[in-house]
Amino acid sequence: MKKLFHITLNELLLLRKDRMAAVWMIILPLAMTTIMGLVFGGFGEESEAVVIDLPVVDHDGGEMAAMVLDILSQTENLQVETAYDEETARQLVTDGKRAGAMVIPSDFSTAIVSGQPTALELVVVPGGQTTPLLEGMVRGVTSGFSNVQTTVEVAISEVQRATGSYDLDYEGIANRVVATTLERLEDPPVRAQITTVGGTEEEEFDIFGQVVPGYAVMFAMFTVLSAAGGILEEKERGTFKRLLIAPIPQWSLLGGKLLAQFLMGVGQIALMFLFGALAFHVQLGNSLLGLSLITLATCWATTSLGILLVAVIRSRKQIHPITTLVILGSSAIGGSWYPLFMMPKGVQQVARVTLVAWAMEGYNRLMMLGGSLADVWVDIGVLLLYGAVCFGVGLKLFRFKEA
Amino acid sequence: MNEPIVAVEGLVKHYGDVVAVDDISFEIQEGEIFGLLGPNGAGKTTTINVLCTYTEPTAGEIVVAGHSVTVEPEAVKRAIGVVPQDIALYPDLNAVENLRFFGRMYDVPKARLERRIGELLKLVGLAEHARRRVEHYSGGMKRRLNLAVGLLSEPRFLMLDEPTVGVDPQSRNAIFENIQALNQQGLTILYTTHYMEEAELLCHRVAIMDEGQIIALDTPQNLINTLGAGIIHIGIKDVAEEMLTRLRALPQVKAVARRDNTLAFETLDAQRALLEIIGLFNETDTPMTSLEILEPNLESVFIQLTGKQLRD
Repeated sequence: MKKLFHITLNELLLLRKDRMAAVWMIILPLAMTTIMGLVFGGFGEESEAVVIDLPVVDHDGGEMAAMVLDILSQTENLQVETAYDEETARQLVTDGKRAGAMVIPSDFSTAIVSGQPTALELVVVPGGQTTPLLEGMVRGVTSGFSNVQTTVEVAISEVQRATGSYDLDYEGIANRVVATTLERLEDPPVRAQITTVGGTEEEEFDIFGQVVPGYAVMFAMFTVLSAAGGILEEKERGTFKRLLIAPIPQWSLLGGKLLAQFLMGVGQIALMFLFGALAFHVQLGNSLLGLSLITLATCWATTSLGILLVAVIRSRKQIHPITTLVILGSSAIGGSWYPLFMMPKGVQQVARVTLVAWAMEGYNRLMMLGGSLADVWVDIGVLLLYGAVCFGVGLKLFRFKEA
Repeated sequence: MNEPIVAVEGLVKHYGDVVAVDDISFEIQEGEIFGLLGPNGAGKTTTINVLCTYTEPTAGEIVVAGHSVTVEPEAVKRAIGVVPQDIALYPDLNAVENLRFFGRMYDVPKARLERRIGELLKLVGLAEHARRRVEHYSGGMKRRLNLAVGLLSEPRFLMLDEPTVGVDPQSRNAIFENIQALNQQGLTILYTTHYMEEAELLCHRVAIMDEGQIIALDTPQNLINTLGAGIIHIGIKDVAEEMLTRLRALPQVKAVARRDNTLAFETLDAQRALLEIIGLFNETDTPMTSLEILEPNLESVFIQLTGKQLRD
């Protein structure tokens, strides 16, 4: 047992002496986590408002046209410009200097209050990026005025039917309807209530809660599998043979190396979580025990996968491309880069063959959904089983010495 | 006679269809420097691998320091030291760290290990470079540290597998001096090499190996003496049996062997024999295609025995 620990210590000493390993284990993962978190986090945050300058040419100058301008001015993301004549406004759109322009016809106010058809003209270039947005806005305004017209017509006909009088102040009624409608816009009596489930209103999707465990698992796999490949390097260099002909039990020799790989993996994930918590306030969830156990199980499975790969591949030149393929492939489909639940169902099923999927499911449940240890027992169990199978097969195939 | 420290009887090692070692037997006495001389692929390293328990023999009885390598490999490992052909060191560690780690693998107690590290670094002339990373050492320095690691456990029997490959003359001399000093202190050594001058210089007895077999085993001097006073090789196109009989009858010729288009003469006196041989060739008008006089040494012995160069 003493020799096992000496071998482990020697592996860790070699790691400390290897400057490139420090880059791989510490600097690169932290840098990648930060970069990816910031890049993807930008999509999750409220984006800076895009402001569209909209020239509006008012040929009407009446009360209804003023209301149109008022509504548009209060519209978010819209900057109304009234300084241009129609020709200039159209030219600005043609030249691509404005996304669109609006023309209010000269009879607009009269038409509204008299119930006559009219139109607000929106000048746009086809296929413009903001054209749908502008169309939506104008349709909203015209829809409002159509409702006003309808309301006025209904109201007047009802008053006429009730009083039998046709001597009514059409314009006054229409103005009051429009004014009331505008007031109601600020505090509508009927509104849409959006309810979200799976979290409180205060909690926003924390991209680092996904990126930190995702990249922690991926880089831990790089570290552990690279260290496993070190066994092949030792075989080629001759130090493994030197150890085999020393009086060391084979289980101590391999156990010492595997323990070191396991500890490197645990250390790396712990470092990434610590960094995430301190630098980006990543929520580690409600179960530190669950988080610890899923980490230990993940590193056990990864270490065992390493010994299996070393036993099967047997050549240092081959092991690096193969482990890279295994790591990137399983990270891509296993949920290291995107949450597993956002993947297509088919991919989610295929991902179950990777240890990354089980690890990430556990981390997501604990860190993003606030789960407890009870919620990740299955993930821990599968990872332990995964490790046991890889370890058993790897040990069976591993060649300590020449036949 | 004392029990030999190594007793090999009928060692055979196959790798699939390839016969690496083909039924060899030898003994090494305590205090001896025993050489295994042969070209690359002769089976020297395979023999060492079996003796140090790294490789399972296909057949044979092998006892090292009183323990069977197949039955008691752990006891064998504790009695031996091995200096492999590869530089089996951690390049990222310095000399002390390398020695300390391997010393721990041999259960050398801490205080003794530290003392031993100091002694060995001094012995191999690396005390001043003890804290330098091994990756920055020259090839010779690495070889010397490789030797020091093999001596950490104070073994009874040390195996050195081609310890001077790729080494500068200065380091080679230092390694020779180390080996001779260690042997004088009582250490038994098995030394493999394909440099005949090394075997001649260092070894008390030499086994010459070729194609997995021991083709000669004796002291270097006795092996050389079998050549008489020298070897003459003469290239020929063809020679009649009668001519061979007449050549064998020459007074200064001990023996004549024919290999392909070469006649190899063992002589009593190479210079006189040469005159007799040339005289007979002239007399019979037999053409020569080449002529070579070999100095009597282990290389010549090997050539005489196999018809091949050691460095082939």
